[in-house]
Amino acid sequence: MIGLDVGSTTAKKVSIEDGEIKYQITGTHNWKDLITGIDGNDIISTGYFRNSVPHCASVTEITAAIYGVRYYFPDVDVIVDIGGQDTKVIDVKKNNFIINDKCSAGTGAFLEFVANYFKIELKELGSFHSRAKRIPAINNTCAVFALSEMISQLVAGFTPEEVIAGMHYAFARRISFMIPGARTLVLIGGTVKNKGMLSALEDILQTEIQVPDEPQIVNALGALKYYY
Amino acid sequence: MPVQKKIGLTALVPPELIFACRCSPFDVNNVIPGSKKYPRNKLCAWTAIWQEMLSKRELKLDSLIVVAGGDCHNALVDGQKVEMSGIPTHFFFYPFDGDPLYLESQLYNLVDFLGTIESPEKSGQIKELKKIGKKIDAKRAQGKLSSGNVFRIMISFSDLMGDLDVFREAINSLKEQKVEMNNRVALIGVPPIYHDFHDVAQSLDLQVVFDELPFEFLRHSGNDIHTIARDYCNYTFARPLDFRIRFLQKELEKRHIDGIVHYTQFACHHMLEDEIMRSKLDYPMLTIQGDLPGKTPEQIKLRLEAFREALDRA
Repeated sequence: MIGLDVGSTTAKKVSIEDGEIKYQITGTHNWKDLITGIDGNDIISTGYFRNSVPHCASVTEITAAIYGVRYYFPDVDVIVDIGGQDTKVIDVKKNNFIINDKCSAGTGAFLEFVANYFKIELKELGSFHSRAKRIPAINNTCAVFALSEMISQLVAGFTPEEVIAGMHYAFARRISFMIPGARTLVLIGGTVKNKGMLSALEDILQTEIQVPDEPQIVNALGALKYYY
Repeated sequence: MPVQKKIGLTALVPPELIFACRCSPFDVNNVIPGSKKYPRNKLCAWTAIWQEMLSKRELKLDSLIVVAGGDCHNALVDGQKVEMSGIPTHFFFYPFDGDPLYLESQLYNLVDFLGTIESPEKSGQIKELKKIGKKIDAKRAQGKLSSGNVFRIMISFSDLMGDLDVFREAINSLKEQKVEMNNRVALIGVPPIYHDFHDVAQSLDLQVVFDELPFEFLRHSGNDIHTIARDYCNYTFARPLDFRIRFLQKELEKRHIDGIVHYTQFACHHMLEDEIMRSKLDYPMLTIQGDLPGKTPEQIKLRLEAFREALDRA
């Protein structure tokens, strides 16, 4: 039996063999490679494409996130899932969730947009942030206008490293409005590998944030745990 | 027999008086969920679409009554645009404090706008229909009628389809059916702008057993201006939030609700009420937001499905 999470940008497969978690990650459009030789009756699916891929049962990514995170952090209060297209905040204790998908400013797509502007890889944003000496204020809540503001900060003499750090703070501030107070706050989704964004969010929330070892596979694992 | 004047309504205006003045009411919101219009200049799509359709004469009405005070400020502005386009428009105000004397004076102004009361017996006939409406609503909560079919009747209580006989026939055509009640949901706020919302919710195993605004449409009645004023002054959407919340608490308890879906419309002041509703109503709550009309979008379906899973876990 496997958990299969086919999201907007990546597809992940998880199985548990002899108590050990095994996983594979690929691009969304290559999801078929993950299930070669696996019968649909052995697949629990989740993610945007959960109903378009072979499965014997499916579960929304919200519920999958709860079950997946609990595997790593049984006492989790709040889960923040920063995905490519949306950001979900799940209040596990109150059985409640909020999703931001009306605007790209609080999603992974915004970070990608910024990385493209600076002609760097998405994964480099964190290391750029760590080299910043000052953090300029970027106040715009619209992704496009925020980019205009970032360009103005470059004109004003801030380095790309500093502007990227300012952007991470703007990003973190935006999603912080969605997050209720929590003792155990867990971040998941590929975006949380960006250490700059993570530290900006910790600074704004004044809370230590937990991140599972492999935050991208949590939903696939959760789909599996939901049924087993 | 002179041709009846067709009177547009933007929200709840006592239809008893419109029929009594031998006019035919038409709730302009009824055309919105099925509309494919993209209004040029909008905040809330509900008001922007009727404004544009009326101003361009795509909706043929003799005059318009805009519910402004105590309800929707967007309607107040869009109503004035309609008036400037040349359609006779009357602005109707509910009292925030529920003062029946104030509402009575508003109702006299309304009758002046419409003409004179010529068929006072219509109020009694509407009262009887509303009694039937309450029974239908109760049957839905008992799992004897489908949520979508009942909603379509309830939402029509604002204008009674412009013709009491036609409306009575529509009510009589409702067929009882057994509905499995697994997740009893209250839908609060303004109705969703999506024409298939109740059926989508049902397909995801969420049974809507309370529609807040449509229930207001059939809850109020009266035989004359005096009694209508004393009942409609408790229209919850026009009153302070604590009044509305107390009413909701009672209705939700009566209906053994498992969870609440709070629908909010983009750029509507009701969005600001969400955190208050969450803090005062002690039920699992899902907040969704819509903008333009059409089918229920996939993103909303995802939220509904996840909410169902959350209720399953509760």
